[in-house]
Amino acid sequence: MIDAYKRLMNIEEPPAAKTAKGFFTDTSLCIGCKACEVACKQWNQLPADGFAMTGNSYDNTGSLGATTWRHVQFIEQATANGTGQEQRWLMMSDVCKHCANAACLEACPTGALVRTEYGTVYVQQDICNGCGFCIPACPFGVIDRTPKDGHFEAGTAHKCTLCYDRLKDDMTPACAKSCPTASIQFGDVEELRARARRRLGELQARGESKARLYGMAEGPEAAEVGPLHAFFLLLDEPETYNLPEVPRLPRKTMAERYGWSAAVGVGFALVGALVFGGRR
Amino acid sequence: MPSERLRRSGGGYYDYPVLRRPVWTWEIPLYFWLGGMAAGAYVTASLAQTVGSAEDRRVVADGYYLAAGAIVPCAPLLIADLGRPERFHHMLRIFKPLSPMNLGAWALAGFTPLALARAASHAADTGLLRGPLRALAQLVPRRLLELSGSILGLTLAGYSGVLLGATNVPLWAKSKLLGGVFMASAMSSGSAGVTLAAARRGAPETTLHRLATLDSAASLGEIAVLTGYLVQSGKAARPLTTGRFSAPFWLGAIGAGTLLPLLLHRLARRRHGHMLEFLSTVAAVCSMAGSLALRWSVFEAGKVSAEDQGASFDLSRG
Repeated sequence: MIDAYKRLMNIEEPPAAKTAKGFFTDTSLCIGCKACEVACKQWNQLPADGFAMTGNSYDNTGSLGATTWRHVQFIEQATANGTGQEQRWLMMSDVCKHCANAACLEACPTGALVRTEYGTVYVQQDICNGCGFCIPACPFGVIDRTPKDGHFEAGTAHKCTLCYDRLKDDMTPACAKSCPTASIQFGDVEELRARARRRLGELQARGESKARLYGMAEGPEAAEVGPLHAFFLLLDEPETYNLPEVPRLPRKTMAERYGWSAAVGVGFALVGALVFGGRR
Repeated sequence: MPSERLRRSGGGYYDYPVLRRPVWTWEIPLYFWLGGMAAGAYVTASLAQTVGSAEDRRVVADGYYLAAGAIVPCAPLLIADLGRPERFHHMLRIFKPLSPMNLGAWALAGFTPLALARAASHAADTGLLRGPLRALAQLVPRRLLELSGSILGLTLAGYSGVLLGATNVPLWAKSKLLGGVFMASAMSSGSAGVTLAAARRGAPETTLHRLATLDSAASLGEIAVLTGYLVQSGKAARPLTTGRFSAPFWLGAIGAGTLLPLLLHRLARRRHGHMLEFLSTVAAVCSMAGSLALRWSVFEAGKVSAEDQGASFDLSRG
């Protein structure tokens, strides 16, 4: 009976879980070449964003978006010596974090957003109906909807797929493959985490006192969204890179929100019953 | 000046927003308003059917017409806002109450036929429907419809504020009371709609006075929840309480939507005849319009809030 139904509805068994894959983006190695942005656009056949000069250092990309899945930030800092002459130039290639508890995936009403066998978060383009709820749900501002009247996959939600198609063929995602300095490292998440801890130790031993990891299970940033499958080694506070200190997962407060809503509705019904039934 | 471009540690990345701006357009606040009003009218009418006097039942049943009329455009509005409207039914390919968007789609899909059926049954009672359609409409199990429709209606009225709250937009998410605010607004606009219909058809004064009491209680409740919402939101409420959306919010949602109806119903307490009907009508129209102003201003100000980098950081720090 169930088998017949599955055949009728063309329901396939999901692929068996594999080792979790992810990115370790070591910003201390980033030289801001944007090869990752270009390789991502090429492999995924994403349209160009147009030429707009932001005036913000070498960053003319601005932010992640529906057709921008890697974004290199350029942070020009004055050093603390007070002269303002010396500067520190921080670069960071931002990407979808593929959260363990993904707000976008939980918000999705159609089941278009799924967790793949590699532990990554993926939008099924043939399911998404472009409701747009994942967009404000994401605490990192990653996922977005393409314009309804556009030429590229119009009206559906898009973000980094961690090159799901390449993973299927045991290939490295395009951005990591193209990174000339190994700032973007791809691999098994567990192994990458061990590597990140070693690298952090090295940097701290060299006096990089502000270096930190962002997206490990023990960090405050994992309190709600869980450890990130695409995590970072940063050279400054997360907010310097526009990363929230504690990215929020909407599910955590949902029961309380429904509770208040229900309390008001029941309160109205009780008052109504008193008003109509009271005096007779 | 290059020095302006130098970044302080922890100061955020230029002035880029942390979040992406919500892509929803005008259809959504209009849908929230109509859906909430339909649910409010349905619940009010069902309360009168269940515990009211014979007169109340006769008059207040017109609320079912309002509920049916308001719910009809809801699904088209919701579908029009989708990026791929032809895939609207993908909302119903799974049942996932964890997603308020999914729960709301199911509530709308369930409530719409119930509201239409109950209105048809009322039309059969009043002789508006004739012939075989009347016989069909009289088969409708009313009590069951009133109960199940009220539960689904309350879900429909209650999920919208929770949906906006279940995001990372500071104005919507900082306080946990937005669902309660929208629920209160839905109920007060729905009962106001019933008052409007009753006043227009010349309902008995006792019924009008009872409806005025219910409307006033709903307005008072709305003021209480809104106050809590604004206090909890603190700085995050600024895009709503100051700037472009402050006029529709303070004058429309609060002034016309709650304070003015309270005052008018208070004035109407000892009035009779045409004066009572007139005051009830104006109060009801104000309350309904205020409810739309509330949905629209909160919705649009949320887009401003989403692009406020500092507000996002404040929200994430708790």
